[in-house]
Amino acid sequence: MAPYHVVLVHFPIALWMTATLVILFRAVSDSPAAKLFDRALVPLLSIGLASGVLAFAVGLMVWPWETISASALGRNHVLTASWTVTYWAVILYVRWCRGETVWDGMSRWVKAGLAILGCGLLGITGTLGGHLVGIYTDVSTGLRMLGWDVYTTYYAPDYTLITLVVISVLLVGIGLWARRNAR
Amino acid sequence: MSKSQQRTGLLAALALFGGGLLLTWVTHGTGTVKDDPARNISIPKELTVPLQVQAAYNDTNMYFRYRWPAPKPGIFHDVVVFEGGKWVRKGKGNPGTEKDGMHEDRVAMMLDDGGVPEFSRYGGYMTIGSGIASFTEHAKDDAVKAHPYLGKKLKQEEVSKYLPETRTDQNDWSSVQSEETLKAQRAAGYFLDLWHWRGHRSNPINMSDDQVIAEARLGDSGKSASGGNWDDQKKQPKFMFNQDSTGYKSLKWVDVKEGKISQESTYFLREGEAVAFDPAAGWVEGDTLPRRTLRKPEGSMADIAVQGKGRWADGYWDVTLKRKLDTGHPLDDKILKDRGAYSVAFAIHRSATGTRWHYVSLPFSLGLGRPGDIVANKFAGDTPKWGDKWTELELFYPGQVSWPHLNSKTHAGAAYIRKGQPVTTHHSVEQLKHYGIESEFAQQIRLQWLLTLLAGVALIATFGFAFNQLLKRKQGV
Repeated sequence: MAPYHVVLVHFPIALWMTATLVILFRAVSDSPAAKLFDRALVPLLSIGLASGVLAFAVGLMVWPWETISASALGRNHVLTASWTVTYWAVILYVRWCRGETVWDGMSRWVKAGLAILGCGLLGITGTLGGHLVGIYTDVSTGLRMLGWDVYTTYYAPDYTLITLVVISVLLVGIGLWARRNAR
Repeated sequence: MSKSQQRTGLLAALALFGGGLLLTWVTHGTGTVKDDPARNISIPKELTVPLQVQAAYNDTNMYFRYRWPAPKPGIFHDVVVFEGGKWVRKGKGNPGTEKDGMHEDRVAMMLDDGGVPEFSRYGGYMTIGSGIASFTEHAKDDAVKAHPYLGKKLKQEEVSKYLPETRTDQNDWSSVQSEETLKAQRAAGYFLDLWHWRGHRSNPINMSDDQVIAEARLGDSGKSASGGNWDDQKKQPKFMFNQDSTGYKSLKWVDVKEGKISQESTYFLREGEAVAFDPAAGWVEGDTLPRRTLRKPEGSMADIAVQGKGRWADGYWDVTLKRKLDTGHPLDDKILKDRGAYSVAFAIHRSATGTRWHYVSLPFSLGLGRPGDIVANKFAGDTPKWGDKWTELELFYPGQVSWPHLNSKTHAGAAYIRKGQPVTTHHSVEQLKHYGIESEFAQQIRLQWLLTLLAGVALIATFGFAFNQLLKRKQGV
């Protein structure tokens, strides 16, 4: 399945990269052109997500689970791919549900920040995929300088995991509070 | 919701989300990898060590010169110390650095002439079979001792390095081929020559251990340079220093432990020079005797000698070994020839470590008067004139990576091994030094990674939920 995965990943990469440019353009501009591009954002992100999920699913079939989950690079690729897909799904979800209001006030800058972060995550995922098939780039060198050697599995200690769960609960709480107050 | 409330909520959500991401970044990779003696795990602080190698030969002999850093000279292996009225062994060995700082320094070199084709591609990895000693999961000593061939005939007490084809099942250390097959394999050259210099058990008498890796790591035929200095029945040493020639009957434990013994002194017991142990010699607390004796090796085990003196100085060992190109022992040694091409892999022990707590190299090619990673140039005379040109190698801590694992479904590269692709096609030392450690915590890291993946997905998803709820209602796409 490896060749199919390699072909498929081009679609979400291209679409999400394009979406990033659209989001950044719209974040800094209220021009008619920016608004025009923004109208294509939901379809762009939707097709990006669909192709991303498909590429992810096919990617999981390249190696058996016991193989990919035993390799540091494999684990890292699966982890960042999972986060990337979730991340872009969230960006789509918010834009789809809230429409053009995402560009009101400070939320436009939040959206822009999320797009940049999502683009970075996408780049790391792609880099790790390249490493898995023996194609190396200096992105891994940059990550090492920032504190992560991609040849070591990215995992968090228990207290961090507990903190993340607590943060997630708090975020749900903020969401529920906002929903109640919106009504 | 007022704009102010929305803004506050948004900032809170961003702070929580960003804080969560930052926390994972700062703390990732911690909390799992740690020493665990109960599981035979001790992670060295330094994961790589440089090794410099030079090689040369003349019409008769082959010379290898090795130079590597070591914080102090490990010139003792194990000793017995007079404590509380009895002799107590120090230096029995434990995971990582020995608690009393005992265990000799070593340099080892596996050498092949093509008789073991996989060796040039995978080096020492292919010698790490199932059940190998000192791994977390290893064969029980009793089972090895009871094995009809390994235990009863070869007197093995644990599973040592062995070559894959000496077993009928790669996943079963006990599935040894028939003796007839092993004999045929040996005659066909299916073995690795192992040059094994030891800081205490060979170097003081200017010799090197000479071994072979086939169905086990075995000594060459003949008599080794090292014997025992312990009478198990009398619970006392067999020999002590000759006071007439050395001026002392024993060393002092404090001097040994603190590294105050000179390499030029008589710190070793040489058979013929040492005298029989006298239990009534007035032993006092802290008197110390080496637990090994040294003797003149014989037969094929006497093939490798130290050229000059193997000495530690200024933080580095500098050792030169010398052996005949043709030792006359083709069943134990790889016979070397002018213009020949060979494969070698190296390992060093330092900082009072034993068994698998060493640093190893990937395989390298060796050319005698021909191209190779390491080129040995021919010279005239008896002593090579070493210049400043070294082959610089990087050795790494290998962790617990076995040949059965590398050929199993838990290794993504198993298919590449089946295709015959060398380890260097897909891996570098930079990778392998980390993979070795991760192999020691495979299950724990996998669980922690999976939980991290899920926690990250939850963090992103819940942030999305909060962000979405904090914005105004949809007004149209």
